[in-house]
Amino acid sequence: MKQTGKKQVNHLKRLRVLLAILLFVPVLLYFVDFTGALPQGVHALLHFQIVPAVLSGAAGIIVLQFIFAFVFGRIYCSVICPAGIFQDIINRLFCIRKKKSRGVRRFSYHKPQNILRYVLLGLTVASLISGFTSLIVWLDPYSNFGRIATNLFRPVVMWGNNIFADLLMRIENYALYHVTIHTVTWAGLIAGIIILLVFIVLTIFRGRLFCNTLCPVGALLSLVSRYSFFRMTFNTETCNHCGNCERSCKAEAIDSKSMKVDTSRCVDCFNCTSSCTRNSIRYRWAPFFVKERVAKEEVAASAPAPGIAKPSSGSRRSFFATSAAIAASLPVVSAIAPSDDVPEGENTAADDQPAPVTPPGSVNLERFKDKCTACHLCVVRCPTQVLRPAGFQFGFDYLLRPYCAFKSSYCNYECTVCGEVCPVHAIQGLTKEEKRTTQVGIATFHIHRCIVYTEGTDCGACSEHCPTQAVHMIPYEGTLTIPQVEPELCIGCGGCESICPVNPHRAIIVVANKEHQQVSPPEEEEVKEIEIDSFGF
Amino acid sequence: MKRRDFLKTSVVAGAALSLNFDGLQAALTSDTTAVEAVPDLVAVMGGEPEAMLDKALEALGGIEKYIKKGQKVVIKPNIGWDRTPELAGNTNPLLVKALVKRCLSAGASKVTVFDHTCDDWQKCYKSSGIEAAVKEAGGIVLPGNDEKYYKTITVPGGLKIKEARIHEALLDADAWINVPILKNHGGAKLSCAMKNLMGIVWDRRVFHSNDLQQCIADLCTWQKKPVLNIVDAYRMMHQNGPQGRSAADVATIKSLLASSDIVAIDTAALGLFNQVKKLDMAAVGHIGKGESLKIGSTDLSKLNIKRIKI
Repeated sequence: MKQTGKKQVNHLKRLRVLLAILLFVPVLLYFVDFTGALPQGVHALLHFQIVPAVLSGAAGIIVLQFIFAFVFGRIYCSVICPAGIFQDIINRLFCIRKKKSRGVRRFSYHKPQNILRYVLLGLTVASLISGFTSLIVWLDPYSNFGRIATNLFRPVVMWGNNIFADLLMRIENYALYHVTIHTVTWAGLIAGIIILLVFIVLTIFRGRLFCNTLCPVGALLSLVSRYSFFRMTFNTETCNHCGNCERSCKAEAIDSKSMKVDTSRCVDCFNCTSSCTRNSIRYRWAPFFVKERVAKEEVAASAPAPGIAKPSSGSRRSFFATSAAIAASLPVVSAIAPSDDVPEGENTAADDQPAPVTPPGSVNLERFKDKCTACHLCVVRCPTQVLRPAGFQFGFDYLLRPYCAFKSSYCNYECTVCGEVCPVHAIQGLTKEEKRTTQVGIATFHIHRCIVYTEGTDCGACSEHCPTQAVHMIPYEGTLTIPQVEPELCIGCGGCESICPVNPHRAIIVVANKEHQQVSPPEEEEVKEIEIDSFGF
Repeated sequence: MKRRDFLKTSVVAGAALSLNFDGLQAALTSDTTAVEAVPDLVAVMGGEPEAMLDKALEALGGIEKYIKKGQKVVIKPNIGWDRTPELAGNTNPLLVKALVKRCLSAGASKVTVFDHTCDDWQKCYKSSGIEAAVKEAGGIVLPGNDEKYYKTITVPGGLKIKEARIHEALLDADAWINVPILKNHGGAKLSCAMKNLMGIVWDRRVFHSNDLQQCIADLCTWQKKPVLNIVDAYRMMHQNGPQGRSAADVATIKSLLASSDIVAIDTAALGLFNQVKKLDMAAVGHIGKGESLKIGSTDLSKLNIKRIKI
């Protein structure tokens, strides 16, 4: 009775949940919305994600996130990171109809896996600096969430839609319509399933273990959050070591015996506050220098100035060094991408491997590989579903990156969506005019496979679908006409390849430009006034 | 005359009317003695789409002759491309709108409009102005973007194709009207009424790989023929078809054709096309092949054609 009487409303937790929902719901809907009903601008929410911000060189956002973490701790992991929120949802679902001891209070304190998480962080940063994104592709929480949403949630939503659309159609309602799912590839599906299972298993057995071991963003923020001004603190007077807080801590960061909270792992979920009947663990202003009497200068140590800090332990020193190195390297990372606009086309010996057609705005293959984290946002937003996650067909280092699958779809002439939404700017935003003149590849015609040549009958499907008439029909035998390609007009949109009726190999195939080119727009023809006054029959 | 005989005669006359003795009906309804035969084909020039449609329908004896009360009607325009009406890639939305209205006022229980588009269907429906036009007129716009909507039917009369998968809206319909736009076409050379039927089937690759011209003609032998073909030639794309690149590809010739004979109307449309660009009948193979399959006639001299200038 006294316990329930004492229990206070946990406003902070409520606020945390509310903010998480406010961010998560639009992001999730944005990924699964196949109708284009949501405003395009929702992608702005994703620019706050740390990995995209780092890769796109959005220094302002990074600084903001660091300051935020320095003041409030790793709130980012609970209200901004969709993968973090998603794990909280898994946790919540797991706890349904379970006793507290098996549900919300199933955790226990574990020591931090510092070596693992900081080695991974270091490797990630090092690989980014050397322009190699394969590691971040697998570790970035946002991109992992994106892959789950794209390859698992979205198809389910589309199937659901199709079932409803069919039902509605029976009663002559056409508000919904049937959709075909083209974007799911084996690679995407497997990647989505793997990370979903990792999230589920880790969440169930060890709470936020992913965030505190594998996640480079978690590791990065932990460097700052361990010194955060606001933090969870024990009231050593009133605490009776009941252990409720420890058992409710998803981050496994509370040691109730020694009454210590590892702020480097705390994600500010405030569940511990709710669990405490004595109000003994609270989120309060407790800067490290107040308690630990560390020299004031150390506050400045969060800025990239190595050597100023006078840490009390060896490990702390290494953290400062790491954080300083990372902070110093951020501009380097973001500067890398634009600087490498000269692709090493010659010494990429794997010329037998076909090059993927990368989305318009990706500038060149090498740059795209260095920047794209395979979050698949472009895949879900592409209206023609031409962008699909790659498997191994373009080599290991292109795995899961989106490529233009022209065999069954094409890139809409006027469309610039992928560049608009890409949160890492791996695909740069193009204006419609730029898009219409950006050549991502060139259609090559194989006459020996062409219907007109093999069957001696009319076809012309390729030319029909060519928006620039780079593929046009020229006289052939008799009244027949046969396609011809003007490479300097072709933008590689794949209209021709997608519609060519020849199987299994199309008679017209877009060969990728590893370096995208500019073509001149189709010549503006003069509009002539044509008047007729007789029917002609 | 005995009363019984009189009744018999009236019954026969009634039956004759329902058998489309158009001239007689026209004469009876207009209450004139001079019986003018209802034309096989009407060509109108010089008006706005709606006005030209009304002239043509009037000459043909009214929409009621084709659309009966309570019927489920499908109108099949060309909405193949993500293009605005000015670029003439799709049927004129004003024409479609007027036609939906006429069908509804003739008592159609519902009027649906669809096309199996080439570009993204939502973009096509929107840019063409047809979605908005149909909705304003009280019709229903149906998607044609998914294989799911298409059911297999047989085309026994076809030479190259014996079956096709056709949009279920058409299979359910009591009557349908084919409303193509006349334009140049890279593959088929001319896109008009017969070619417009490619938008009712799912797998067009089969057509392209099995003698396109013959397949177009084959499909037109499908027993459920449009009750009427209305060709929109208000704006005509005379080059770079069927998609077109710019306004330079378009001639505004303000014309409209209407006929139940799909071969005749395409023959006439070719004549109209030739007023702007030279195109040989032999090149547009599907028209001649259509005649060989006895779908209609290319011999316009034997047809009763009414030409109206506004």
